[in-house]
Amino acid sequence: MSSGYKPDILWSPHHADRYVICDTELSLYRIGPAGSSETKAGALPLSEETAATLLAINSDTPYMKCVAWYPKQEPECLLAVGQANGRVVLTSLGQSHNSKCKELVGKELVPKHARQCNTLAWNPGDSNWLAAGLDKHRADFSVLIWDISSKFSPEAVPAEKVRLSGDVDSGLVVTKPLYELGQNDACLSLCWLPRDHQKLLLAGMHRNLAIFDLRNTSQKTFVNTKAIQGVTVDPHFQDRVASFFEGQVAIWDLRKFEKPVFTLTEQPKPLTKVAWCPTRMGLLATLTRDSNIIRLYDMQHTPMPFGDEVEPTIIERSVQPCSESIISSFAWHPSAQNRMVVVSPNRVMNDFTVFERISLAWSSTTALMWACGRHLYECTEDAGQGVAAAEKDIATKMRERAQSHYGHDTVQVWRNHVLAGGDDPQLRSLWYTLHYILHCSYTENVEQKQQSNKQSLIYSGIKNIVKSSSGTTETRRCWSGSDRQTDVPWYHSEERSLALQLCGWISRGPDIDVEPFLKSLEQEGEWERAAAVALFNLDIRRAIQILNKGASAEKGDLNLNVVAMALSGYTDEKNSLWREMCSSLRLQLKKPYLCVMFAFLTSEPGAYDAVLYESRVAVRDRVAFACMFLNDAQLPRYIDKLANEMKEAGNLEGILLTGLTKDGVDLMESYVDQTGDVQTASFCMLKGSPGEVLKDPRVQCWIENYRNLLDAWRFWHKRAEFDIHRSKLDSSSKPLAQVFVSCNFCGKSISYSCSAMPHQGRGFSQYGVSGSPTKSKVTSCPGCRKPLPRCALCLMNMGTPVSSCPGTGKADEKADLTRDKKLAQFNNWFTWCHNCRHGGHAGHMLSWFRDHSECPVSACTCKCMQLDTTGNLVPSDSV
Amino acid sequence: MRRRKRWKLHILEHSLKVASIAKEGIQICTHGLIKLAFLPSKTRCKFFSLTETPEDYTIIVDEDGFKELPESEYLSVAEATWLALNVVSGGGNATSSQPIGVTKIAKSVIAPLADHNISVFMLSTYQTDFILVRERDLPMVMHTLSSEFTLLRVVNGEAVAANSTGVTNGFVKPKLGNYLPRPIIHPLSSPSNMFCVTSLDPDTLPSVATLLMDVMFYSGGAKETGGQSEDSGHIRFFSFSLIEGYISLVMDEQTTRRFPNNVLFTSASGELWKMVRIGGQPLGFDECGIVAQISEPLATADIPAYYISTFKFDHALVPEENIQSVIGALRTNESTGQ
Repeated sequence: MSSGYKPDILWSPHHADRYVICDTELSLYRIGPAGSSETKAGALPLSEETAATLLAINSDTPYMKCVAWYPKQEPECLLAVGQANGRVVLTSLGQSHNSKCKELVGKELVPKHARQCNTLAWNPGDSNWLAAGLDKHRADFSVLIWDISSKFSPEAVPAEKVRLSGDVDSGLVVTKPLYELGQNDACLSLCWLPRDHQKLLLAGMHRNLAIFDLRNTSQKTFVNTKAIQGVTVDPHFQDRVASFFEGQVAIWDLRKFEKPVFTLTEQPKPLTKVAWCPTRMGLLATLTRDSNIIRLYDMQHTPMPFGDEVEPTIIERSVQPCSESIISSFAWHPSAQNRMVVVSPNRVMNDFTVFERISLAWSSTTALMWACGRHLYECTEDAGQGVAAAEKDIATKMRERAQSHYGHDTVQVWRNHVLAGGDDPQLRSLWYTLHYILHCSYTENVEQKQQSNKQSLIYSGIKNIVKSSSGTTETRRCWSGSDRQTDVPWYHSEERSLALQLCGWISRGPDIDVEPFLKSLEQEGEWERAAAVALFNLDIRRAIQILNKGASAEKGDLNLNVVAMALSGYTDEKNSLWREMCSSLRLQLKKPYLCVMFAFLTSEPGAYDAVLYESRVAVRDRVAFACMFLNDAQLPRYIDKLANEMKEAGNLEGILLTGLTKDGVDLMESYVDQTGDVQTASFCMLKGSPGEVLKDPRVQCWIENYRNLLDAWRFWHKRAEFDIHRSKLDSSSKPLAQVFVSCNFCGKSISYSCSAMPHQGRGFSQYGVSGSPTKSKVTSCPGCRKPLPRCALCLMNMGTPVSSCPGTGKADEKADLTRDKKLAQFNNWFTWCHNCRHGGHAGHMLSWFRDHSECPVSACTCKCMQLDTTGNLVPSDSV
Repeated sequence: MRRRKRWKLHILEHSLKVASIAKEGIQICTHGLIKLAFLPSKTRCKFFSLTETPEDYTIIVDEDGFKELPESEYLSVAEATWLALNVVSGGGNATSSQPIGVTKIAKSVIAPLADHNISVFMLSTYQTDFILVRERDLPMVMHTLSSEFTLLRVVNGEAVAANSTGVTNGFVKPKLGNYLPRPIIHPLSSPSNMFCVTSLDPDTLPSVATLLMDVMFYSGGAKETGGQSEDSGHIRFFSFSLIEGYISLVMDEQTTRRFPNNVLFTSASGELWKMVRIGGQPLGFDECGIVAQISEPLATADIPAYYISTFKFDHALVPEENIQSVIGALRTNESTGQ
């Protein structure tokens, strides 16, 4: 303010629509909506919505240096103006001279020695008190606190000494301040402390910030600093004070006043104004000289006070309220959020609202939430029934699948795709593949235990199986039911047969018997596929039969009969009309399997591209076909090509080719990249042959992410189930026991570990109470036989049922977890508070803390449950 | 924070030169002087003072400002580099009717320095008092004053503690010279005109710049044609200083009337001052104890005073109502001294 007559701006403390611009004169404006009837023609537009109307001008007070608005409601519009000669004049704007104001308006508060008045502040409590900060004088005080209600006291200034001062006779001059503070230096800025209205924070006193208490002015707290300009208290945090020096703002905590808690990044130009936002926590606006931007510092998330080692988190940004014009000053609106009016040196004003930063958060479910200012918006996925499953977010799908135990069916592995919803062909293919792999490996295992080489081959996918193929025999088979030799070469080997098994066409053994497979297809109503498989096995009759069956079935397609008819006319005559027509018309068939049937029949031997590259046909069928009809040179090439395609596309059908190998992980990676489905990836890879793929860091990453996801959903039971499932399939993931309950007396673990102390376990059973085994418990230490602690609630000694002690039976089979015999019911578990060390049976404790917050032990006031951060969270998958 | 409230003495960072410009040579320096006085943004000068006496113009200026002055036969510069000391109150003790200016520091600063044969050069302004000492005397100054003051050296605007190095200049500390009145050696005179110590808002400086220039550089010639001498009562005396942004003016009452209303800062009581001029012959810079001779009796009598040293003579300003008692007190000392 002191440099030239740049306009400053001041909001009325009580009228949200009035402000004063002060430069050489005071102008009162009213702000209102633009274009409304209220605003007159002379209204100045401030923004698109608002305009200001000039209400009054006061030019009675020249040489203005600072202005302060009277803080009380009445009299409104009373201003204290500090002048260059140190006088403080009370004046008003746009007031009819009513009685209340009249006494005060025109009153002059005159210091003993004239010098510039730098700053003014009304006491927030006693509104009669006005503090004025002045420049230094060799023999006078720099801070004067005036009582504006005091009357002129003639004896204070002997009349004959009044010579150079102006009009004193009016009776409105006050020369005796209430308090005088600070000798021999200037006061550059000051403010009253809102916490204690008797305290005053002064800046400038010998490069100090000093807090004076008016009740005892000899007592003061001060700190030496350069930052002595513009002290201002955060209205939302009354111990936080900002002050500045040139380009640097220092933030102080009055409780830790020795040094600034932090300083903001220094600006190259000197600051002219620093102001806390009155409507928003911890938002500080700063303005530098000749600048057209206002810098904002958001300290909302800055803890106060913070330790020295913590870097303060301050979000700095800048706003440009009026495009290119330089800003002379600005003022926050007292009540409208984040709103300010800025004024340029030529008095162009601008109404501006600082847009609040938007913070955004995803929930672990699919909801999205964002906050702007005081508004909170939530966006959730449309959970309506009409939403097709395919359109659902993968997170929603995974949640639903987790709830339906997806991935946990270890007996009928293929059923997992049903648990997943049964509508995803890729998942269906994947789980069937895994099913066949496990099935084959199991039967291999049972039959030929020594051949571990073959075992790993099964997991390595058809791609590797066909590469290892040797001793392929080429035969020309007859069309079944006729003696007619086909001219189609047909290949067979042990590996090819294994591949067919993995494709699901045949069950096992060297015989190629697809009949069970056809039956199952018929059962599922997959007539075309069944017919195609029958045809590929050179059984036209069966194929026709299947088609007829399909046509006659419920909701059957009568066209199948037509197809059967066409099929029955098959001839291997090369130039027949049948061949000609079929090869051209087959393209019009909509059903891919029907299409490939005719493609097969009309193809030259060994040139089956129309079958092999028909993408609508399932990969497993195409691969099985290839295994039968492609020679040793063609087959690996085809499989490689197909595998690469699948890998690139992230198509899970390709797992059939890659198996659960590194290739398979690559494929799965591309699938996860596309879908984000870490659930399927985790479960799939867990099925892999022990070791290899699970060691892949990507696989570990998927598993960990899936576990975290379950935790985030509060599916803790599912997480636990998954962990158990995982530890069964991947023994390396089994955590070692890390916690033992040790006996108070002997210090040994009280748990029964059959390997650790089999003798004692057995020995104890002799001592065991021979009664109902479920009731007998181990209530004493197995090591020293001293009793275990008592439950604080039932006062019984704690312990575990003796009958379920492991070692007594071979319970640890790979049976389903839920049917597993547990060592003890959860209700009987030992629990105790880590704080007060009281505890008891878990069940008792849980029920106690349902109604109580304090420890059940009398005279113990520990709030055990509240110390548990997760104690208040309820798992969302609890039944 | 500090329990014991000591007074603090700031050793300012300005390296000052004291120069004299002969009256007839003033025109060659006016360009530089106007720049120093009215265009502070054009120079890096932070400390500038110009005092006009009937004999000459005394300039006190820091090194940056000194570059603005031309080399000339009319310009004589005191050899030494000077440092300014400034006493600031340690605590906010708002009690007591504090004596103004030099009187306040007479006993604590000026007398001890005089006792240790350290020559001082005084400059009182509207805002404060500066005690100029030679840079080479600084260790001795610090040694002398460290018992009485917390010494702070101002570096880049920040006050840092300065430690005395315990140097002595060989003079023994006088034993209990306390109550022996210091004899006054130099003749005194008291002009009849009355003076005003005042200041003005730096923002209004441009509006009165031409008037100030007239007062500084031209009024002497116009007025002095009447052949007024000091003996006839009036003395030509005007002082302007611009130190760290603060303006201070000392001028006689008649001159103040030439200024527009409300430009000059005046005290509510409108006090006026009379001058005591010290020295018949130019005093030189080596003699010490002159300020102490004057200020000690004033301090004893609790009379406020300003003290402005110039190249040739010293000037004390005392309240007009006290002038008789001051003269009386000083004459007594003068006689006892002889």
